[in-house]
Amino acid sequence: MARAKNNLWNRYKYKINGVVILLAGYFLYTTLFPQFPDTWAAKKVGQFEVTPMPYNLDAPYFHDGVYTKDFFLMFNEGDVNSIKQAYLTIGEKALPLETLAAEDHGILHGSEHGQEVHGLAPKELTSNHRVWLTIQTWQGEILLTSWPLPQSLLSNSY
Amino acid sequence: MAKLSNRFLFQLHGWFSLPVWIVFCFVCLTGTIAVISHEITWLTNTNARALNPDNLPEKKVTELIDTVESAYPTAKITTALSFEPYLVNAVIFTDSDKPYAIAYVNQYTGEIQEVNQGFTFINFMRALHGWLYFPWQNSYSVGYYLVCAMAIVMLGALITGLLVYKNFWRAFTQPKLRVNQGKKTFLADLHRLAGVWSVWFLLLMSLTGLWYLVQAIMWQNDIEIDPHPPIVAVNDLPSGSQIPQRAYSLQDALTITQQKFPDFKSRYVMPPEHYRDTYKFYGEGDFIFYDQYSYGVTVNPWNGEIMSTRSPDEMNVVQTLSHIANPLHYGTIGGIWTKIIWFIFGVFLTGMSITGFLMWGERTFKAAKRQQHLTETESVSVSNNTKSSVSV
Repeated sequence: MARAKNNLWNRYKYKINGVVILLAGYFLYTTLFPQFPDTWAAKKVGQFEVTPMPYNLDAPYFHDGVYTKDFFLMFNEGDVNSIKQAYLTIGEKALPLETLAAEDHGILHGSEHGQEVHGLAPKELTSNHRVWLTIQTWQGEILLTSWPLPQSLLSNSY
Repeated sequence: MAKLSNRFLFQLHGWFSLPVWIVFCFVCLTGTIAVISHEITWLTNTNARALNPDNLPEKKVTELIDTVESAYPTAKITTALSFEPYLVNAVIFTDSDKPYAIAYVNQYTGEIQEVNQGFTFINFMRALHGWLYFPWQNSYSVGYYLVCAMAIVMLGALITGLLVYKNFWRAFTQPKLRVNQGKKTFLADLHRLAGVWSVWFLLLMSLTGLWYLVQAIMWQNDIEIDPHPPIVAVNDLPSGSQIPQRAYSLQDALTITQQKFPDFKSRYVMPPEHYRDTYKFYGEGDFIFYDQYSYGVTVNPWNGEIMSTRSPDEMNVVQTLSHIANPLHYGTIGGIWTKIIWFIFGVFLTGMSITGFLMWGERTFKAAKRQQHLTETESVSVSNNTKSSVSV
């Protein structure tokens, strides 16, 4: 039987998997000091002023039967308790509130310290798409605003 | 044929565990520590201890939440968790100056003993063992798959190990650990002895590990195990232009839950995150092999209706597997005593990966070194002989 040569590769090939543990150290560092994408421009809508931020610049992901893109929304002005229900979706047009309210996809949740949303999204994002925020207040008002998709998000979507 | 297959099995045993031995050993070691991470926290942090010198009765989780809300009036409670009776409850909240904080509340005295800003040893160990801190790509993590794949390694090493070690059951009746016959013999005896006594544990870890692998594939492919609880229909929300108060409080919802499941012991409470959301309670009952979230009730805050339930009686096969895997893998089925047993066998397992590597090292490069040394000695003696013959 051929005897393996006692060279560096043969000596260390089985231990090279240990590099994975070094990666764990690097990933721990990135977890402790997370980097988020830039926030988008604040928009006034009714009594509210909202600043959105996508959690990452990745393409939408498939979850619970739909494509989803996660956002963090800061309500700089306005009381989130006065929102009866609110939804965030991505598309060429805003979806009617009745359509959104029939399901629970894209509903805003959280607190006055920050709202989160798994926004309903198309599989692929294009420059024709916008991010739509639909808010219904307890007074019955339906408020709508939107943001264009930044290039940083579009370039990762293909 | 028998000889050939034995040699092949021995090689296979090595192939299963050697190429990834460092990661394998690391996963065993971190898992071993993770099993008792709550207890290590208890030992190292007095604030994490739920001391009860006056023998007070345990307060309801809703009271503990009220305590945190009173102490931090702008806080919003996101979750409340309870663990072993000797550990404080964790009330998790966000506040204007804290994006994520955990209040350690003593369930007997009601005292907030610490406010941790989110990073705990328990979570650190679990993430390190569970997915090696590899980032989650929404529904999967490469690290989670890597760790789950160790189950295949472990099962393969176990089966081939038992096939190679003929009459392995003798290790139960006539355990053999020869300490005076050289390092090789000692390592081999130790490896085999620990292996045979750990067969049940190796099987349990590898089978639950294989289940975690299946679960990971299901997550990535969006196959739901426990269905999402429904949300409140818009028509069930109150009309009127004022911001309404929920008709049923968290305490009312807990009472409704306990009426539904009389043995219910709350472990995880989640207040509504928006006005169409429900109160969510998950806990344990009297089925010891099921995890601490195997009972669940979601309650409509506007009309007190139970929106969904979860209990071992209602579970399908996949749900049952998902709820019995954790207690078996974590060793929590019998409280601290089973955790200690799991820890001891975790040490054996970690040790086996080390002794296995050392045995392989003895057999390969130490043998190669000895061979090299012998060759060099021979060549020196040959050259000396040549020199002496020349001089003569």
